[in-house]
Amino acid sequence: MLAQLLVSSITAGAVYALVALGFVLIYKGTGVVHFGYGDQVTFGAYLVLIAQALFGLPFWPAVVVALAASVLLGALIYGGLMWPLRRASLLAQIIASLAVGTVLREFVRAYMGPSAWPFPFLLSPAPVAVFGVFVVPANLAIVGVSLGVLALLFLLFERTFYGRAIMAACDNRIGASLIGIQVSMVFLAIWILSSVLATVAGVLVAPLLTLSPDMGLIGIKGFTAAVLGGFNSLPGAVIGGILLGVLEALAGAYVSSALKDMISYGILIAVVLVRPQGLLGVLAMKKV
Amino acid sequence: MLARSLFAMVAALAFLAAPHVLAEFHLFQICLIAGTALVVLGLVVVTGFAGQISLAQAAFVALGGYGSAILATRWGFPLWAGIPVVAVAVSVVGFLLGQMTLRVSGHYLALVTMAVTAIVQIALIYSDSITGGAAGMPVPTFEIFGYALSTGGQLYYVIVPVTAALFLAVHNLNRSHYGRALAAIRQSETAAELMGLNVLRYKAAAFGASGFLGAIGGGLLAPLSTYLDPAQFGITHSVYFLAVAVVGGMASPLGALVGSTIFVFLPDFLQGFQSYLGLVFALLLLGFIVLRPNGLASFNLPRALSSALARTGDGR
Repeated sequence: MLAQLLVSSITAGAVYALVALGFVLIYKGTGVVHFGYGDQVTFGAYLVLIAQALFGLPFWPAVVVALAASVLLGALIYGGLMWPLRRASLLAQIIASLAVGTVLREFVRAYMGPSAWPFPFLLSPAPVAVFGVFVVPANLAIVGVSLGVLALLFLLFERTFYGRAIMAACDNRIGASLIGIQVSMVFLAIWILSSVLATVAGVLVAPLLTLSPDMGLIGIKGFTAAVLGGFNSLPGAVIGGILLGVLEALAGAYVSSALKDMISYGILIAVVLVRPQGLLGVLAMKKV
Repeated sequence: MLARSLFAMVAALAFLAAPHVLAEFHLFQICLIAGTALVVLGLVVVTGFAGQISLAQAAFVALGGYGSAILATRWGFPLWAGIPVVAVAVSVVGFLLGQMTLRVSGHYLALVTMAVTAIVQIALIYSDSITGGAAGMPVPTFEIFGYALSTGGQLYYVIVPVTAALFLAVHNLNRSHYGRALAAIRQSETAAELMGLNVLRYKAAAFGASGFLGAIGGGLLAPLSTYLDPAQFGITHSVYFLAVAVVGGMASPLGALVGSTIFVFLPDFLQGFQSYLGLVFALLLLGFIVLRPNGLASFNLPRALSSALARTGDGR
């Protein structure tokens, strides 16, 4: 019973981890917390449906079109919003990212209707028994992809020259531009990368959750996962996501479903108040 | 001085004349604008004046609406007394939430206030026996001095004066020592602290004020809509109130009124495109934060005219 519970909760955790990775990528790369990221994930899944409806494409080519469209979306968000607001107050940036999410959500609601859509599984959703525990291939794919994305991003940031350039650009824009890094191009790359990641996450997650305009509320769980792991740590995002999934499942199974819904928000508040650097993060000192 | 008393007289006359001139539906809309403006005024105080982002406004509205309605249905406590009592209690909640700004600011403050809204909403949904759960609960009639006020035209006599009084109070507070302290904190907390201001207490008080205004607004809007549905008090509604504040302008109390007027009348203008309403709201928010982050109320017409004249003068 407990083993089964843990296995299925790790799937939920991997979903949170995937969303959290996107947050951390944007925050680590550009210093912006993207409050609309959850809605961007939802939008990514809808892009596949829209491509199918508009061009009559089969599923896989539609996914390719959606990924291409999300490259454009990422460039649009940076070029149209985050670049013009690069010197605006933090408040304006927070509101702008909230607005991005709201626009995407309301666009989907207006264009595709407010009700839920069916979304195909990439792998078989039929459970397979492994050592007496039922495992679902489609869920394994989510865990695999989030670990794979983590590995890729980790290598990018820690082992490549380009990743170092990104970190430098985020750390000190003037310094980075003085040594020949074109900061705006770096930020553009981050926004495109995170937008593509959002679509990947959306395609994986949509069959599991209900694909409706309000699926973006998953974003808050992603936030909690990112905060739990430490907002600037990529491995922390994955650990935080899986930990959150397990804690939710345990609370739901042994206490009450009300607590299951509430626990992630409680964790969010508790971590921010007690240990704002999270589990793996490094505390940033505020400069005066 | 003369201009001010003249303005007050015109306003009082307009207030008394409106119910005789306008249709019932328009009075309802005026009440809706006034109630929303009160809620948004709370955001203007905490975000516009003190510079602290808050996504907890929908939670304050929910607590005000549900709190006074529950007091009335379960203990027979009339709404006219229940709304201010609950609002004081909610302002204490807001004050305590504001104490967290000692440790939390910026992104994290947005996240924490967001989480507070979500927790309040979930608590309302799961407390079936008191709040009616996900199905919601009806709001008892607003009774005062033996009169039962149920329609917009009747509630008008309560909502509009209360709103006017609270707007005046916030306007005066903003021009007092208190308002200047908040402005100093908004510009630089460190500098404000060096000047000897107790920064934390001021920020917490601003949150308390936003809780009070949000709860009064929520308490007054509840009998107007006659029904409380927990789905109306989620994070998206906190963002909606923030959008109203941004479009109206957060630098002055007037912005709350301007924004609420726009957002209440917009559905009328978009009658054929109701399904695009949410998208239009969202695009307005996006457009204003990029192009005019200070909002509509920041338009200073005389100054804009004179600078335009000066420019044409230079072009000779």
